[in-house]
Amino acid sequence: MTVLLSEPAPAAGPTAAGPRRPRRDLGVQALIIASIVLVTIGAVVPLVAVLATAFGSDALPRYAEFFTSSVDLTILRNTLVLGFLVGVCGTALGFLFAFVQARLDVPGKKILHVIALMPIVSPPFAVATATVVLYGRRGVISNGLFGIEYDIYGLDGLVFVLSLSLFPVAYLGLLGMLRGLDPALEEAAMNMGATRWQILRTVILPLLAPGLVAPFLLLFVEAIADLANPLVLGGDYTVLASRAYLAVTGEYDTTSAAVYCVILLVPSLAMYFGQRWWLNRKVRTTITGRPSGSVHLVTGWARWPIYGLALLAAAVIVSLYGTVIVGAVTRVFGVDNTFTLDYLKEVVLGVGSEAVLDTLTFAAIATPVAAFFGLVVAWLVVRHLHRTAWLLDLGGTLGVAVPGTVLGIGFVLAYRPDRYIGDFQVFPSLVGGGAIAGGAFAIVLAYVVRSVPAGQRTAVGALTQLHPYIEQASTDLGASPLRTFRWVTLPLIRPALLTGLSYSFARSMTSVSTIVLLVTPETKIITSQVLSAASTGRYGVAFAYCTVLTALVLVAFALIRLVVGAGVSLQRTVTSERQKR
Amino acid sequence: MVWTGVSRRGATWGTALLAAVAVTAAGCARTDGGADVGRDSGVVHVVCGATEDWCAATTKKFTESTGVKADFVRLSSGEALARIKAGKGSTEFDVWYGGPADGYAAAGDEGLLEPYVSPNATVIPAEYRDPAGYWTGVYVGALGFCSNTKLLAEKGIDVPDSWADLLDPKLSKDIGIAHPSTSGTAYTALWTQVTLAGGDQGKALEYMRKLHPNVLQYTKSGSAPGQMTARGEVAVGLIFSHDCVATIEAGFPDLKVSFPSEGTGYETGGVALVKNAKNATSGRKFIDWALTTEAQEIGPSVKAYQFPTNPNAKVSDKVVKLADLTLVKYDAVEAGRAKLALNKRFDVEVAQAPKS
Repeated sequence: MTVLLSEPAPAAGPTAAGPRRPRRDLGVQALIIASIVLVTIGAVVPLVAVLATAFGSDALPRYAEFFTSSVDLTILRNTLVLGFLVGVCGTALGFLFAFVQARLDVPGKKILHVIALMPIVSPPFAVATATVVLYGRRGVISNGLFGIEYDIYGLDGLVFVLSLSLFPVAYLGLLGMLRGLDPALEEAAMNMGATRWQILRTVILPLLAPGLVAPFLLLFVEAIADLANPLVLGGDYTVLASRAYLAVTGEYDTTSAAVYCVILLVPSLAMYFGQRWWLNRKVRTTITGRPSGSVHLVTGWARWPIYGLALLAAAVIVSLYGTVIVGAVTRVFGVDNTFTLDYLKEVVLGVGSEAVLDTLTFAAIATPVAAFFGLVVAWLVVRHLHRTAWLLDLGGTLGVAVPGTVLGIGFVLAYRPDRYIGDFQVFPSLVGGGAIAGGAFAIVLAYVVRSVPAGQRTAVGALTQLHPYIEQASTDLGASPLRTFRWVTLPLIRPALLTGLSYSFARSMTSVSTIVLLVTPETKIITSQVLSAASTGRYGVAFAYCTVLTALVLVAFALIRLVVGAGVSLQRTVTSERQKR
Repeated sequence: MVWTGVSRRGATWGTALLAAVAVTAAGCARTDGGADVGRDSGVVHVVCGATEDWCAATTKKFTESTGVKADFVRLSSGEALARIKAGKGSTEFDVWYGGPADGYAAAGDEGLLEPYVSPNATVIPAEYRDPAGYWTGVYVGALGFCSNTKLLAEKGIDVPDSWADLLDPKLSKDIGIAHPSTSGTAYTALWTQVTLAGGDQGKALEYMRKLHPNVLQYTKSGSAPGQMTARGEVAVGLIFSHDCVATIEAGFPDLKVSFPSEGTGYETGGVALVKNAKNATSGRKFIDWALTTEAQEIGPSVKAYQFPTNPNAKVSDKVVKLADLTLVKYDAVEAGRAKLALNKRFDVEVAQAPKS
């Protein structure tokens, strides 16, 4: 039932894998327009506003300066090295957890799943702080337990913290894909005498390759755009994002910042197009969307070392989040361990309650919108658009490719003033205290734009694995494309929808860099409160905010799972296992 | 990508998209901003550079005693300035409160502030007021060393009490200081060196270069080194003395504040009216009130131990008395003017240099 297709790149001809281009249906056209409008308003216009600054006449000499300055070139190299290492480590970590989850016969997998999701639910800032507290020079574990004075500031600390904070994207994506793999392929290989290792190397990994590249790309781009961690843990290690931030917040120099950001965009786009080329080179699809046969879980001795590795990583994650929680209810963790509820009280009942409510409301609005558009953009890109697909795909990715601080500034530059043509107001002010809805609209829009790419990437990966014949069968029988999407495609890529929803919510709740520039007196946001508390040394309050935030996101995850369902593949595993007995 | 075969429809889409971008991005932004001035809605929007607690307590007290509503956003001085600059023409804030006056001076130079000399300002000593009337000082805080005595004892070093003590090789990677570009605190330290060198910026940077091998990391926030010292990440933090006192209060009794014998710098926290503020009348009311004893006695109740500029305000016994210290003559206006260029030099000549 499964065919391995090796075909030339579809982009080269009209379409090799799909049908001739059908006349576009009205619903599809409406979706295309909606996606374009969202991408334009949310990402393109702010970016154009920043680019206009970056290529203004006074900015041009800065480029020559950049490429002759050894200091600036070191910063560029630092950025690329960091992105690469985090991409590799984070993807490996995600694969490790996904493999354990999907293919090993070991106890405690449910708990491991929850642990693997923890890092996306709190601001990276919390992880960095907890890392310093536990594994820093005077860390409770590194120094207190092992007596070493390890200098965590710099590249090693950054890779450690960023890999741990970002890997869940890789994990969720790869898990969905591992479960979508047809076990029949492996059975076939096994019947022909292949060993477990050979199957992993020659069957599973090549099939997962598009899925492995997607998280690598995402982690690379997120790592080089990350701001909070280099500021907390960077030490001597300066990267472009933190340099650009410094230029904005310290030197009031939006021109230099825009220049740094343009230079930061180049590797992001290079990674993006590299990945596209790579994906188009070979097309591997499993023809049935719903895998048949049963998964053979690894039961031999080989599972234990792999399991051990995953447990070690899980222990580190738990220790970090434990610190956040314990830190929220002790006066000063590690120094004065007296129990106190003052910090939590302040957050839940005091000044923080307003921020908690505002953030929850905005995130709840943004999440379904972001997840929906993530899927729709992916679907349009993979199935419906051909020559212009890359444009929409790129547009959708902009929310992640563009560093948050730049997007924030772009929002301010583009949407701060009311827009007039003559005396006719065409566009009201969206940002700031005087804007419509007290600036809330801009915050929700920023949430959506920043969250779309995760769902989109995962869905593109999932759809690439799904052969178009399945959808064609539906349209051939007379269903409209939208109907097909709703009743055929969507159920098949449900894990991607789950990822999209979960990740969008978590990302909205934890977004820092863009939001910091958009908060107004009427809209208070948890993450900006965290930064504020932490930078004035009130770690207890910061930890309390993070604890509340983590709890809220976990509850939301449970709700989303309840509503969307755990995914068809899981049910299938259960039923097929029942059949075995 | 193959461009030759772009379909007619693609071209149409492209044109529509371009038009949309052009309308929204390049369409005229109304920047005169004058239309709204004078319409006062009885609310003050404050961009606040002090700690969250202090901002909250201050705006609340202001509403209680004047009946005028007030809300705030807390932003560091660099961020606040960027926001005010971005909103030029249609400002969202009326008043800027808290944070070193250097930033206010820079904003005044850029034409982002409206000069306002409050009738209440007469009691404030002249050195804490802007001669051009852009800002008025609401508090003063001296720069100091915040030392972790436990750690220093382990290393066998005395608590530093001069700038030269910080250059001790035994303190390698054991000093915390912020980056002057983001932090008013660190810029105060840098400008103090300039003042000590008799205005010679080269000599001041020379000192910072010598200090560089002992610095673990240039943090973003000025008060962060206090936390790092408290946790033992570094032995000495170069911060405002009131931030160190606040950290001790937060539960770190091992910390000790000391001051350099050569003389130390200080910040003057400002308050100013934003240019073209929509609620200018209420904004002026806020500034008038911020200079009263009632406003200036709020600090200690929220662990902010800066020295009040109003000589009649009660001073908490936890506040460092400025009269007991050797202070350099700190010219905030001059410092603000030199800020951008000096920070750039610091970044290139000091912060990015290899440590050895």
